[in-house]
Amino acid sequence: MRNKILTVDDSKTVRIIVKKVFRDFDCEVLEAANGVEGLAMASKHVPDLILLDVTMPVMDGVEMLTKLKSDAALKAIPVMMLTAEGGREQVLKIAKIGVRDYIVKPFKEDVLLDKVNRIIEMRPAGEAPDKTKSINDSADILVVELAQAIIDQIKDGLKHTPWKVNGVQTIGEAIDFCARSNVDLIMLGLNLPMEAAFNLFRMLRAGTKTKSTPIFGLVVKTETGLQQQAQNTGFNGIITKPIDFNELEAKAAKAMNLDTSTRYFSVNKDHLLITLPETLSNLAVLEINQYLKKKASEAVEVGMNKAIIDAHKLANCDMVSIKMLMDAMQVCNDLSMRNALVGNPRLSTEAKGFEDTKNWVFHESIDAAMASMVKTPLVALAT
Amino acid sequence: MNNTPSILDTTVVGQILDQAVKDVFDTMLSMNSLLIWSSPEIVKKSDSIDPAESLISDMAIHNMIVVGTVGFVGEVNGLIYLYVDLPFATKITQKLLQIDLDALGEDADGAVNDAIGEITNMVVGVFKNKLCDQGYPCRLTIPSILRGTDISVEPVGYAHRRIYKFDIAGSLLTTDVVMKFGD
Repeated sequence: MRNKILTVDDSKTVRIIVKKVFRDFDCEVLEAANGVEGLAMASKHVPDLILLDVTMPVMDGVEMLTKLKSDAALKAIPVMMLTAEGGREQVLKIAKIGVRDYIVKPFKEDVLLDKVNRIIEMRPAGEAPDKTKSINDSADILVVELAQAIIDQIKDGLKHTPWKVNGVQTIGEAIDFCARSNVDLIMLGLNLPMEAAFNLFRMLRAGTKTKSTPIFGLVVKTETGLQQQAQNTGFNGIITKPIDFNELEAKAAKAMNLDTSTRYFSVNKDHLLITLPETLSNLAVLEINQYLKKKASEAVEVGMNKAIIDAHKLANCDMVSIKMLMDAMQVCNDLSMRNALVGNPRLSTEAKGFEDTKNWVFHESIDAAMASMVKTPLVALAT
Repeated sequence: MNNTPSILDTTVVGQILDQAVKDVFDTMLSMNSLLIWSSPEIVKKSDSIDPAESLISDMAIHNMIVVGTVGFVGEVNGLIYLYVDLPFATKITQKLLQIDLDALGEDADGAVNDAIGEITNMVVGVFKNKLCDQGYPCRLTIPSILRGTDISVEPVGYAHRRIYKFDIAGSLLTTDVVMKFGD
């Protein structure tokens, strides 16, 4: 998957230089001129790395960084400061909020490239990318954790996926396992004694086989100090205990660059079927939005002009759900795709309570929704 | 009050600025710089004729010039102005961006302004980071740019002012440093 780097700097000159540095790599450089634009771009595109200036109009880099780190959906995005603000106190203050690296201007272009390459693997442009694996493909996950119960929990929580979860309890076993297998994702218990998890992290990053393997830290929710340390060390994500398996699955799929579209998009009797999960977590919303326009456009391109938005599993008709359904309908309508909703009786009743959704018609089944489109043209969006 | 901090010493300021200019022009543009002239310290006193006037008018810049300004605020407050003539500003921009400015058409002026603003930001950044590390914490302000012919910029009020001139690969860079401690 193509890397996305977001450069947030009020100087167009710096943004042009950053684009120039990465132009020979398979990488998309997104631009923002201040913290407000930067946050909006980060939410919309979820970049793999943010290069952030400090002194900017409207919203400065420190405020943007603070907001980013307090947003559950964005806090894992690594941030590298690229700024003329380099006084010791200022650097320490910013480092405490959580940044992966800090470059003080003026900077050499090769230094920027080298530091970025340590965080995200830069592939030269034109080099054939690896075939994208899907959520239905097998993957090897290694869990390094003292407590066997946690290993068993993870095995159990992910047993519905095609992923193989392997558990070990010591550093030595972890190193041996990585030497003889190709691991797609590693989860390290941060409570290993003597900072062993952090030492192992550094060893894995130095190893040829594992230097690009995503590594998650596993830690109790209240251990915020360890979480911060892991983020600053460069862990690709943090999984808190007790484990939310929906969150783990979504984060793991993203970290392993898996195509997750099949979870939400499929084809059923010449209809594009958009299936919403029971709970629309931030990650689920991001994933659906990431594929929505692309999948709908692809369907139209092959001659499909009808879509079913299946929300029957949705537990609640809250603002997030309503917005998701509206976005899905809007994309279909923009492409002149007929569309119909499938929902449960509870959802149907709750929808009647909102001005924007009171006229929505939820069908009981996919077949009923398909049948309705034979007679009804477009689902009207309430205004 | 005569307990003037050592940082106000003309030589020290000159050394810090010299290093800042060297760092930025060498790192970003692969250009060598040489400090060729520095003014004595000019301390403005009320009701006196501005002693900087003659120095400013002496600046060897009587063409279209671009002036970049960045301030620093904190334990020490100040402003640094970078004066370059338009041909040198254009050369800096082209080298920095590695693009042909003619191809930018109407956007060329904006590109030059932005490039000089960023170079000023970096020079003042290095300068003020040195102040921070010597116990005078302060923060940068956003760059501003002024363009015109035969102009000089006179700060409204200042306590200590020095002017330095640099030869950068055959072109002239004039810097005007205005500093004030405390309020």
